[in-house]
This record gives sequence, structure tokens and C-alpha cells, in this order.
Amino acid sequence: MVKLVFTPDWFLGKDILISFFSFFVLAILFWLSFKNYKFSKDKKNFLYFGLGFLLIALGELSTILTKLVLYYNTTFTQQIGQMIVTYNVVNSVDIFYKIGFFLYKLLTLAGLYTIYRVNYKQTTETDVMLASYFIILSTALSSSFYYLFHLTALILLIFIIASYIRLYKKNRLTNTKILISAFSLLAFSQLIFIFSKLDVLFVLANIIQLLSYIIFLILVIKITRPLNLKNEKKKKQN
Amino acid sequence: MKRKRSRTDIIHDILRCILEKNNKIKPTHLMYKSNLSHSQMNQYLEELFAMGLIEKTTTDNKSIISITKKGTGFYKQYSQMKEFEKTFGL
Repeated sequence: MVKLVFTPDWFLGKDILISFFSFFVLAILFWLSFKNYKFSKDKKNFLYFGLGFLLIALGELSTILTKLVLYYNTTFTQQIGQMIVTYNVVNSVDIFYKIGFFLYKLLTLAGLYTIYRVNYKQTTETDVMLASYFIILSTALSSSFYYLFHLTALILLIFIIASYIRLYKKNRLTNTKILISAFSLLAFSQLIFIFSKLDVLFVLANIIQLLSYIIFLILVIKITRPLNLKNEKKKKQN
Repeated sequence: MKRKRSRTDIIHDILRCILEKNNKIKPTHLMYKSNLSHSQMNQYLEELFAMGLIEKTTTDNKSIISITKKGTGFYKQYSQMKEFEKTFGL
């Protein structure tokens, strides 16, 4: 039987919780970005940035739904008595899994690319078309070579981190430093996912991913917390 | 060299100056604190009154400017947007 996910049995369900938490944080980031876009009216960067997070959030949602069916439906199909019927059901469910995971990978890579591209002023149509081609290619091939998806995500994350390091050198903001650490952890988790055929490494990668999204959430709280005028004054004086 | 303030930056600065003075400030003080000329400030104040972000009360022939609830909301949202913008370099 083909193994669809590398989750060890004792970790089943827990990985869905981690994906759900990631989805929640990503959805907040999208909402915050979209709110700022509506407020600023003319700043398209907020919109594109939010779109990047929305795509990754939808990818997480896709993996949550797929895994829910995968983990809690397999027993049901096995309990059906007739062999031919069972075969047909398994076949249709198989397609569902493949589409589910394909969407997860495609949306995640597209989202990461959008986030990476936001800070670049010049983006030509050919750049976007070329990137789309490689993203689709990498997603399609990763159903046979699972590590290709994680490798592409890792490369995109490295580019994102590099651009934020450049930004940090200019603005020296604690928030940007937090952002860099969150993206670095996410990149590290992708690196471990490449070797996730080993149960322990799969769990470790998931835990690191959870940590990175916790840091993202801390960042969101830092940005949205109620204003303290005294702190603002100090900041301005500095 | 410091960059030129945008229109929204100036509005934000005006609102901040009022809030820093416990939401009660005289027009002359506001003019000095927000680094604006008399004519510039009058122009901005008119706009802010029209938008309902600030209000003017007169006691003993002295004008006092304060922020409305809508103005406080605008100030908070703008500050949050700026923080987001700076953090992500947008």
C-alpha cells in the first residue's frame, strides 16, 4: 500500500491540530493585512501581502480537510464487506487525497512566492509566468518525490528571510527581528520535512512549524496591542 | 535628512499631539507641537472637523481642541497600520 502521509500512528490527529493552529494564525495575518489595505485605500502592497498569507491559509485548510477524511474515513471503507465496492471507494478516496495534498502544496508555494515578491518593485508578467510554471511543476512532481515540495518551500523561505534581513539592517526594529526568527524556524521545519520519512523527524518538523506560528502570533499581538502614548513618545524621541 | 511628511502623517501627528496633552489642547500649542504654519494648521483643522475626527469647545473665550471617539479610532488604526508597514517593509 502506498503511504500517503508520514505521520506515526500516535501522532495522528495532533498534526491536524498543528495545521489548524497554523491556519488560524495565517488567517489573522491575512485579515490584518486586508484591514490595513482598506484603511490605506491606495497601498496595493498590503493587499498582495494579505493574499500571500490567504493562499497559505487555504493550503493549510486543504490539508486539514484531507487529513480529516484520511484519518477518520479509512476504517469505514475497510468495514464495507463487498470487495469490489471497497475497491471503488478506495479508488475515489485516493483521488480526493491526491487533489487535497496537491492543492495544499500548490497554494503554499504560491503564497510563499507572493510574500517573497511583495517587496520587489519591478515584477514583470514573464517573471510571474515563469515562477508559476516552476511552482506547478514542483507541486506535480512532489507527488512522486515528496521532498521536492519541501525543498522548493525551503528555497522560497530562504529568499524571504534574506529580504527581511536586508530590511532589518535598515530599520533595526525588534518586530522585524521576530519576523525573521519566525520565518527561519519555518524554513528549518521544511529542511527537516525533507528527511521526514523517519517518524521522529516528521514529528520534530511539525513541532518546529508550530513554534514558528506561535512566534508569528506573538508578532501579531505585538503589532495590534493597545497603544501606549508614553511608549510612543519615547520611541519618537529615540 | 528627514523625509517630507505625508498628509496622513501630519493628521496622525496632530491627533498624537492632542492625545499627549490629555485630549485638551489650545490651537496655538497645537500649531507649535505639530510643526505647522498658521495657515497650514487651519487648513488641516478644518478638514479634521469636517471628518468628525476632532471637536472644538469654547470656555471663557478660550478655544480648546479635543479628539472625538472616531478620531481616537482613526489614530489607533493608523498607528497599527504604520507598525505593520514598518515591520514587513511594505
